[in-house]
Order: sequence, then C-alpha cells, then structure tokens
Amino acid sequence: MNDWQPKITTFLCHWCSYGAADLAGVSRFQYPPNFRIIRVPCSGRVSPKFILAAFRHGADGVWVSG
Amino acid sequence: MLEYTEKIRETARKLLEEGKVEAFIGYTKGTVPMMNHPVVIRDPGKADILHWDSNCALNLCNYLTKMKGKIGIIANGCNSRNIVTHILENQVSRDQLYIVGIPCKGMVDHRAVKRAAGNREPEEVIEEGDTIVVKGRGFEETIKKKDVMQRNCLVCTHRNPVIYDEMVAPSVEEQKEVDQFKDVQMIEEMTSEKKWNFFTRAISKCIRCYACRNACPLCYCPTCFVDESRPQWVGKSSDPIDTMTFHILRAYHCAGRCTDCGACERVCPVGIPMRQFTKKLNKDALELFSWEAGLTLDQRPALDTYRPNDYNDFVR
Amino acid sequence: MVTFKLNGNTVQGEEGEYILQVAERNGVDIPTLCHHKALEPAGMCRICTVELFDGRRSRFVTACNYPIWEGMEVRTDTEIVRDGRKLIVEMLLARCPEVPLLKKLAAEYGIEEPRFKKGDDDCILCGLCTRVCERMGASAISLTGRGLEMSVDTPFHENTEVCLACGACASVCPTGHISIDVVKESHSSRDVEMIPSEYDMGLKGRKPIYIPYAQAIPNTPAIDRNKCIHFKTGGCKICADFCGVKAIDHLQQDEIVELNVGAIVLAPGFKPFDPSRFVAYNYAKHPNVMTSMEFERILSASGPTMGHLVRMSDHKEPKKIAWLQCVGSRDINRCDHGYCSSVCCMYAIKEAVIAKEHSGSDLDCAIFFMDMRTHGKEFERYYDGAREKHGVRFIRSRVHSIEPAQGSDDLVLGYATEKGEFVEESFDMVVLSIGLEISRDAAQLAEKLGVGLTEGGFCSTSSFSPVATNKEGIYVCGAFQGPKDIPQSVIEASSAAAEAGTLLSEARNTLTREKEIIQERDIRGERPRIGVFVCHCGINIGGVVDVKGVRDYAKTLPYVEFVTDNLYSCSQDTQEAMTQVIQANNLNRIVVAACTPKTHEPLFQETLVNAGLNRYLFEMTNIRNQDSWVHKDDPEKATEKAKDLVRMAVAKVALMEPLQEAQLAINQKAMVIGGGISGMMAARTLSRQGYAVCLVERSNDLGGNALNLFQTWKGEKVKHQLDSLIESVRSDSRIELRLGTELSNVEGFVGNFKTTLASSAGSEVLEHGITVLATGASEYKPTEYLYGKDQRVVTHLELDRLFMADDPALKNINTAVFIQCVGSREPERPYCSRVCCTHSIESALHIKETNPEVDVYILYRDIRTYGEREYLYRKARAKGVIFVRFSLENRPKVSASPDGLAIEVADHILGRSLVIHADLLALATAIVPYRDEKLAQFFKVPMNEDGFFVEAHAKLGPSEFSTDGVFLCGLAHYPKPIDESVAHAQAASSRAVRLLAQKNVRVSGTVAQINPLYCSSCGVCISICPYSAPHSIEKGPFTGRAEINPVLCKGCGLCVASCRSGAINLKGFGTDQIMAMINEI
Repeated sequence: MNDWQPKITTFLCHWCSYGAADLAGVSRFQYPPNFRIIRVPCSGRVSPKFILAAFRHGADGVWVSG
Repeated sequence: MLEYTEKIRETARKLLEEGKVEAFIGYTKGTVPMMNHPVVIRDPGKADILHWDSNCALNLCNYLTKMKGKIGIIANGCNSRNIVTHILENQVSRDQLYIVGIPCKGMVDHRAVKRAAGNREPEEVIEEGDTIVVKGRGFEETIKKKDVMQRNCLVCTHRNPVIYDEMVAPSVEEQKEVDQFKDVQMIEEMTSEKKWNFFTRAISKCIRCYACRNACPLCYCPTCFVDESRPQWVGKSSDPIDTMTFHILRAYHCAGRCTDCGACERVCPVGIPMRQFTKKLNKDALELFSWEAGLTLDQRPALDTYRPNDYNDFVR
Repeated sequence: MVTFKLNGNTVQGEEGEYILQVAERNGVDIPTLCHHKALEPAGMCRICTVELFDGRRSRFVTACNYPIWEGMEVRTDTEIVRDGRKLIVEMLLARCPEVPLLKKLAAEYGIEEPRFKKGDDDCILCGLCTRVCERMGASAISLTGRGLEMSVDTPFHENTEVCLACGACASVCPTGHISIDVVKESHSSRDVEMIPSEYDMGLKGRKPIYIPYAQAIPNTPAIDRNKCIHFKTGGCKICADFCGVKAIDHLQQDEIVELNVGAIVLAPGFKPFDPSRFVAYNYAKHPNVMTSMEFERILSASGPTMGHLVRMSDHKEPKKIAWLQCVGSRDINRCDHGYCSSVCCMYAIKEAVIAKEHSGSDLDCAIFFMDMRTHGKEFERYYDGAREKHGVRFIRSRVHSIEPAQGSDDLVLGYATEKGEFVEESFDMVVLSIGLEISRDAAQLAEKLGVGLTEGGFCSTSSFSPVATNKEGIYVCGAFQGPKDIPQSVIEASSAAAEAGTLLSEARNTLTREKEIIQERDIRGERPRIGVFVCHCGINIGGVVDVKGVRDYAKTLPYVEFVTDNLYSCSQDTQEAMTQVIQANNLNRIVVAACTPKTHEPLFQETLVNAGLNRYLFEMTNIRNQDSWVHKDDPEKATEKAKDLVRMAVAKVALMEPLQEAQLAINQKAMVIGGGISGMMAARTLSRQGYAVCLVERSNDLGGNALNLFQTWKGEKVKHQLDSLIESVRSDSRIELRLGTELSNVEGFVGNFKTTLASSAGSEVLEHGITVLATGASEYKPTEYLYGKDQRVVTHLELDRLFMADDPALKNINTAVFIQCVGSREPERPYCSRVCCTHSIESALHIKETNPEVDVYILYRDIRTYGEREYLYRKARAKGVIFVRFSLENRPKVSASPDGLAIEVADHILGRSLVIHADLLALATAIVPYRDEKLAQFFKVPMNEDGFFVEAHAKLGPSEFSTDGVFLCGLAHYPKPIDESVAHAQAASSRAVRLLAQKNVRVSGTVAQINPLYCSSCGVCISICPYSAPHSIEKGPFTGRAEINPVLCKGCGLCVASCRSGAINLKGFGTDQIMAMINEI
C-alpha cells in the first residue's frame, strides 16, 4: 500500500484558494504531485455532480476549496 | 376512514358545483386491493369515485405542477408540506388552491400486509378501525394496522396538514415520542466500508425504471439530469456506479425539500429502501439548519439561501 | 560556431565555450563539485573528467575548463571515465568521510568504504569559496599552507574586517565546510547578522535582492543597495549572470521625476510604536515579549513559523498568552501619546481568537485592558463571542512590568484585580498591543507642505471636511489623519479621491487616448485549431519540467495544430511572435502553459485580441506556481503533471466559444435618499463633480439628526456649518430636492433605475443610473431610568437642544449625571453606538465650562473616546468630571423626589453603593437603525441582525453594496459622528462617480445564461444569487421561468451549481468544459 499514489481532483476558487496555491509556489512549499487542479470562478460553482463525476472517472479524492 | 371519504366527496361536489374549483384532485379505489390511485375529477357528478383509506400513499402534489386554473386538492400532513414547497418553488400559487386538509393516521405498507398474510394473494382488504382484514382464496387474516404501517408513517411528526382551507375532521394527535432518525443514526455509526456495502446492497436490485423519480413531487424538471447527454452525468446502464450516481444525485436534489412522504419507496417495484438516502439529508437539514421542508411559506428552503452564520464546520 | 561530437552526437558551441557548458545545454549530465556558473572554472575537484579523442589518441580532461575545438570527440559516459571518477570520489571520501554529498556520490559509484586511510576533514580544497570571495571583491580567504597543511583561511588565521561576512563562501561550499557560524567565528571581525525581513518584522531574514512580500505590487525583486555586496566592493554581480533576460542593471540611478499635479493626497500611514524604550516590559531583552505586529506574522501561514504558533525563545507551543493593551497609547508618562490608537482592542481580541483557533481551545488567552473599545461595526458582537464562546479572559488592569520567570523562559505579570488584590501570574508569552504613531518622515513631509498637525501629531482637519488639510488641494486619508482601522481608512481614501476629483472635475478625460480596435475574426463553425505555447520561464519551469517533452506531448492532443516552447512567453517579442503565429496558422483557440492566470491571463488575452481572436478563446494552465515550483525534487512527476494540465486545458479550450461582453449605458443622473448630513454631502459631492442629483427626503426639512446637535468633538458649532451645507444644497442648480417624499417602487438595475417617488403632490418616475442610500438612523427613546416620567431626565440630543437654546433651566443645576450605554451593548441591541461616550464627555465639559461649580458625573461601562477624542476624556477628568463605572448586571437605579433625582450606582473602586442626588440626568441613548425592509427589497440589499445595511465588504467595500450601482453612507451603515459621516458620504459619491464617469460599462463575458427550455421556474437561482442577476421572465412563452441579466452577473456560478434542472450554464466555465477537464484527469 505504501506505493499507492492517490489521484486527487481539486477544485480551487479563482479568487482565494487558487491564489493560495500560487502563493504556495512563490513560497516554494513542496507538496506531493498528486493533485490536478481545476480552476473555478467560485467554490459555489462546484456542483455535487462534478464531485461524483470526478469519482466516476477514477479520482481517489476530491478537494473543493474556496 | 369512511366518514373522511363522505366528507371529501361532499366537499368536492360542492366546490365543483359552485365553480370554486375547475378540478379536484383526490384518490380513487384501485382495481387491485390496496392500490388506490390519484384521480382528477372535473365533473361534480363524479365526486362519488373519490375515496380515502390507509392506502392513499401516493403523493398528489405531483399533479399540481404547472396546473392552470383553480384546483381543489386533498392533503394530509406530508402532502400539504409538499404543497408548501410547490408554492415556494413557483410550481403553483396559493390562490389557485382550495386545500381540503386531512388529519392522517398513517398509511399501510401493502407489502407488509401481504407478508402478514403469509405472502398469499389478497383479494379483498377491509379496514376496520385499527385492524385490517385480509381475505383471499381460502384464507382470512386479521392484522393490526400498526404492525403493517409504512415505515415513514411510523416516525411521522406532521400528521396534520400545515396549510388548508378546510379540514375534513378535527386534527389528530401528533406522534411526539418517535425517534425520526434512528435508522439514519445506525448507518452513520457504520464504518465507511460497511456503509458502502449497505448502500451497494440496497441499490443492487435497481432496474433504473425511475418510478421513484416519477412518484416524487419534487422531481418536476423539464429534463431530468439522468436524461441529459451533454454532459452525460450518469450512464444509462444498470452498472452499479451509474445506479449509485443516480440515487445519490436524486437524493441531493431533494435535500431540504423532502417531506418523507414515502411515495418513492411505495412505488419501487423491487423494494429499494431509498428513503435511507433522503432521510440522512433531512436529518442534516434539521440538525444543521433547523429546517424541515414545507412548514412555512415565509422562507425559501434551507439550501436556497445563505446566511453568514450558516453551519460551516465542514470547511476545514 | 564550433562543431564537435559529444557522446557520438554532433553538437555545436560558441568559440571559447567549455565542454561542460555545451554538455549542459544538450542535456548531458556531468557531475561537478567545484563548478559555479558565475565563476571562472578551475578544474580543482576533477570529478568532471571526460574522455577526449583528438583524432589520434584518447586522454582525460576536465570538462569544466577545457575549451571546445572543431572536430573533437568527447565521451562522458565510458567505463574508463566512470572508473576514473570513481577513484576521485573514493579519494575525496577518504579525506572527508562524513560529508553527506560525498557519501551520496560514493553510493552512486558503488563505493562502500574507501580503500585509503580515512581522514576527518570536511573540506575538499576545491577553492570554490576562495574564488567566490574574490568575485565578491573581498578576497578575504584563500588556500593557505602547503601540502598536508593546506586549508581555506584568512591571512594569519585572524578574523579580519576584509571579510564582509556576506556568506557567499558558505552558500557555494559543496561540503558544508564553511557555514555562517564559521565565518562569524574565524573569518570576519564584523558583526555577522542576518538581514531582517521588514515584512516579517525582523523575525526572519531576507536576501539583499528580494521581493518585499509575496503579494507585493509590482511583484519584481529589488536590490537593497545598502546590503548588496556589489555596491560595497564593485564585485559580485552574479545575479546579472543568472538573469536570463538581462534585466539587472547595477548602473541604474535614482531619478527625480517632476510631476505637474492639481491635487495631492497624503497617505503616509503610521509607524507601529516601538516599545523598546519601556524597560520594564523587557521587550528588547526577552524574545517571548513581542509586539502585536510580530504576533500577526507568527499567526500568518506565510509567516516565519508558517502559521505554527510557537514562542521565539525555544519554539515551544505556548499554553498561556497575555496581551497588554495601550502600549504607546493613552500614556503621557512614559511616552507622549495621549491619544487612543483606536484599533488595538479589536486586533488583540482577534489575535486571541485566532491563536485559540490555531492552538486549540486549551490555550489560555488573557487580555489586560483599561477600557475595552470595540466601537466598530460587529465588533461588540465579536468581543462578546471571544469572551463567552472562546473563553478569552479579559482583565481590567494596567500591568506595570513584565518580569522574566526564574529558571524558565516564562514571564511573570504582576497586576491588581478588580477587587484590588495583587496577583502574580506566569505566561509563556506576552504580546504588547502597540499603538500607532506618526513617523518623523510624515511629520517632516507635513512641515514641508505646510500642513498643520494636531496635538497627537496627526494631520489636522475639520469635521465638515475631514480629509481636507489646511492647504487647498492637499488631502489626507488613513492613519495620518488620526488613528483608525481599515474600513475607516478605506472610506477616507475614497473620500480624499472625491475631494481631489471635485477639484479636478473639469480636467476629467482631458489626457485620455483612444485605443485602436482590431477587427475580430468570426470563428463560428470552424473546427477547433488549437495552439499550445509552453513556457520555460527561464529556469523556473524549464529547470524542473521537461518543457520540450510537454510541448511534443501537446502536439499529440486532439485539435492541436501548433505547439512551441518559449523561454519567456510574456516577453514583448514573444507576444509579437504569438500574434503572427496565430494569424499564420489560422489558430482559433490558444493554450498557454506557463505561470498563473491571476497575473498573466489579461496579457495573453490582449495578444489574442491583437491577433483578431475573441479574448475568451483562451485557457491558461499553471505549470509554474502549481507545478515546477512545488515539485522541485521530482522532475519526472512534475513533467507528468504538466502534461496532464496541458491535456486538461486543451480539452477545455476546445469547447470554448467566443463570448460577447455586454455593454451598459449608465444614466448620468444620481439619486440620493436621505437629507441628513450624509445625504446632503453625497448629493453635493456628486453635483460638484458635474452630475445631476435628485435628493429625496421623507421629512419636510433638510438636516436630519444634525439639527439636534450642539457641537462636534472638536468644538465646532454644528448649526453654523449645517446651515451653510443646507444652503449650498438648496442653491445648487444640479440638485433637485424632493422633500416630504418617499419611494413607492423601484425597477431596473445599475445604470438604469426607474424609481417611483410619492409625495403629497402625487407621484413621479425618476430615471437614474446610481443610488446612494443615506437613510440615517434615529435616537433610541428609552423606557428606563424614568425617561418620559420625569422631565429632569433627558436624552443627549434633548440636552443638546437645551444647550442650543441656552435654556435658563441649565443655570440652576447643581449636579448633573450622565448614564452611558442606554439601549446599547445590551442583549436586545448588542452593538456599541460609537458616538455616545464622546458626546457625553463633550456635554459634561460644556456644563463645567459654563459653570465650574456644577458637579458632573458620568456613569459608564467602558469609555470609548477613540483616537484623539481621548484628549477630551483627559480634559474632562482634569476639569473634575467624575467617572463611575458600572456593569451590565448592576445598572444604576434612578428614583425621583420633588427635591431631585437620586441615582444609585455600585462603585467598583470603593466597593460600595453610591447615591448621587442630581437635578439633571442625561441618557446617552443608542442610535437605532430604521430597519427599512421595503427599501432593502427595492434595491436588493442586505440588512444585518441589528437592522443596519450590510456593505459589500466589511473592510474593503464599506461604501457600496454588492448590488451594483447602489452605494451606502452615514448612520444607515453604522453609528458614526459627523466627521465620519461626511467622509463616508464623500466616499460613497466617489465610488458612484467611478461608475458614472465611464458612461458605458463593459462587463465580463464570463456570465451565466439560462436555457428557458430546461428551466423549471423553481426560483432557486433568484433566491441564491447575491447580485440579484436572475429574475423571472414576465412576458412571452417563457413566462415564469428565470433569465439572467448579464450586466449584473458576476460569473460566480452559484446559480449554475444550484440549478437542479441543468438549465443554467456559465460561459467560460461551462459544465461541459469542467466535465471535459474532469474526464482528462
């Protein structure tokens, strides 16, 4: 199980969390490369359907941040 | 029960005769025992086909959606709450309606009756007060009504209509000591794996007939998400993942709106306990937003509005 | 150009280049230890040895310093090269067996133990340090001694001031032999100190070349001349070598630019008070005593401890923290700051609550204060929550000193409790809530400009023009005008802009130029032709991600017609090249994989426009901030992620359609509701900027509450100023007055409102572009304290009226009592009315000044004379006004007899009940909002629990609503004194003018759209939209279904996600597009 690499679909709000992810880069924080980020205009744009769709397409985790 | 039926017929006849309503929505006896079905009458002369007993568990609100003109309708507790939701959601307006309120003592689960009769085919079912007599080829069984009630009715806390123009009878006493969410709690306490197994098993029989959707008054969209193709939210097969997606999304669409009328379970041909999906959301709506669907005309459902002090502990 | 063979491949290099440089460029890896790009190579470590075939024979050369020549053949990977390197590594390891880098190399070459005798050194004598020291222009160290004695050292092994302690040697040393500590110990005789980061309040270091903080604008590095070695020795300039775009110019000089301006706005801000001078607080000596500003950095996720709450001495998580209030404020003994800094109470509470959120609720937070001043909007509620919900302790005591605890890093505070007992309590950390002061620079600036200052050193202004200095055309805003918090600073900033705008309104648009418009190509019906541009961003992306690999991968994706990689995609020449590429290849959709769209999307969109494409046919994906920078150590995974991101972007952009930006004409007329000071001031400001205004007032008079006010806290007589304001409004030809008028209906939205006004004369419809709500508030009519039952009990507005009338009854008074917080800060009205403390003190002083013989008592809960109002409080005490504190549970009791009123209050200090016989009792009554639900509904603006309107943003948008085109000022927002109301009115006008001046507004194309065929009329979108963009269709076949006004839509997508029927789509973030991205993960 230790080699298992989760695939995490991430929805980030353009105005806050996406900027925070940018800032993490500027600050050179290092984190695992398992996230794939989808930029949304607001976390309110994320319908439960997207979350289920992400799971249906094989995501191991879905992270909504905003 | 019989006196309800008489009163309903009388009211409907009068309303239609006086032209106060153009149509009246109620139930009529089915051709098979325990299968009462909704009926819309426009002719006062037809009032006598209206009927009320403990088998009127389909939700009449379905027939109100986008109806024009003045309509009379009978409504027990859950149906009346759906009427409120319908009014809030612009599906019908209050001044179109003449609501004949029915204090409800709960509906009978036709499957339970059959089970109690040893799974023999009932040919006649007679309701007498708190007992039910089932007659069939070569047998007759007397069953206590409370042993065969629909499970949603057993935990119902709104038996009396919340909105009406007249009542067919005085209000009945509400059930106070019931634990509405005992079953939900049991599932909540399960491990994720057990939960997964529980729900996977629960839906494994689903044949995607959408009877649950069609029986539900909340499902009135012109195009249901299951029928959309671009994007296709959910596959049309009975692949377990597709089926699960359908059931989860159907439940989510009912969040903060479901009155636990039980129509979905009643119509399910394969007996899926789909109330377990919606009830969890009802519980959350109550606990997190102090919201029960359809109790007031003054407020939009909990998930339609935002207040800064809304529950937000899920934000980490 | 020199051509030669490298590992069998033909490669090219410039004359004079070394093998290593060419190899690096061609992706051939050669290990090095003593090589540094900016330094002349020395071939010292020998590990870069390669095999060279010169046509006749093979030999070994060091790649770093062997120049290339035509026809040579180099091999870097033969067995013999490997063996040679292995021997070198083995010998180095024998010399320095504990150096991690060498151990790692040894492992790579399969060496377990060196065969040679092991030494215990950690220096491989590569000389990199000495070469870099030379480059620094210092040459403080060199390789000294001979043979076995050779080592890196200063001459005669002495600490020298030739060593600048710059640390360059330590930064390049491959083995860790030299560190800053070594430099400090045995090289330099100078002070070896980190350069304190100004942003992190010196809790962290920074480099001489730095970006002040991550969000700095412009976000480009600057060189600190005072610290940069180049400006000391003329050496170094290594940064210039590394900068791929040659942006660094050390010769740049400061320039003096002369600007011809019509107005000046002073916003020099404040300086946090430096508590070092308070010896008793041990701030300078003890690391666990810190200022609130330092503590803010500790709490910040981007701060020196990355948001981990630890104390400085031992990095232990504190269990107990104390805050000491009024450090450098309300203090004329230890510093000359008699004023209150206004913001410290609130920020201390905030810090305590956040500290508890960070550390868990078992963290003990205690705030030591004199008066708790939470007079801002929603502040009192926050204070109550901190006390009751979070368990923050509030201790009313001024602490004299902070003593280090014996034998630990803790701190001991000695203080007197409210009962008068002396207690000693130990804390892990103490935070000093430092005040605001005006810097010497700001004071000098003021002097240079001839701008007058106040007693506290702030810029002097008057209540009716709170941002105008005594010099015409010079305005002021922010803390320089007086200590204040963010919302008030933002208000004043807008207000100063309004003043400057008024002064310069005639010059508006005289310096603008038209932009050339390029015809947009109609791409409808075309198959997608996608161009993908992958950026190296110098080495920022290219150093980690295989950019060429990503580029080639992109070529394989559907609809991709063109790919390329750029060193810097954002550079001017690349932009021009992109324009040409788009046109030449007939591309109709573009993906740029580079940095963040947050900063660069507009730039690339402009390029699209220049190439004749709709700006929305674009998608940017972030392979720098969210990839190469955060996965530095895993180039392979980073490359994989970049490919995924490009694939997702391509999938999204393929579904992109050209979007139209709605245009909206703004009706140039304004409507202001409310004829009080705020409303009149807003109307006058708008009118003076050239706009027609309709001023609506429900009563028959202008003036509002100010009609009942006697004087301001600065002693200005209100009546005089008010009369002239009323007169200026009445005589203004651009202002239409509608007195005795109310609103009966409002239709429309920003730019196009249609309001029906109703008065006794009938009703009329007014068309206007914007609305300012200045509807005010009223005075609370008390039911307590015998008000209305005894005529000697009056409210403070009634008292003001007595003052104005110079009522003879006042002459016969012997004792006057004021009771504060009447109707405020109580469960039913849990907010502070902000103005009453100052008002009562000012009235008390007026009584004292008229007749010093009168005994005046003020019964209060906390005195909230914020800012320089504190001077009034001091003056009142000096004049003998007696202040008695009471608590909410123990309110004064008032009884009446023909001889006078008896007011009984429990005195905290005396610890017993006090009965005051008075012949005047003034009640400091609350300010109560009108709670105008109808108006709120008309303009679709929210109201808070107390009934005040809720602004767009509590801090940054205090003068507008989130509903476009509707603005807010005055008491309807929150209780405030005249000066703040005037500033707020000007601010609201300024925000409105920002809109009006554009005449036509273009809104984003990223808006939601409803397909009526799918709409089920359920109304969720209408209910959920914070901007009132969706509404119900009133006519036609889709009556009852919803539609969205693109002008009001902000493109957030809330409605889209909430629409069960799938009827709504968000253009630019379409459901199909997001689904396509999800599918590609």
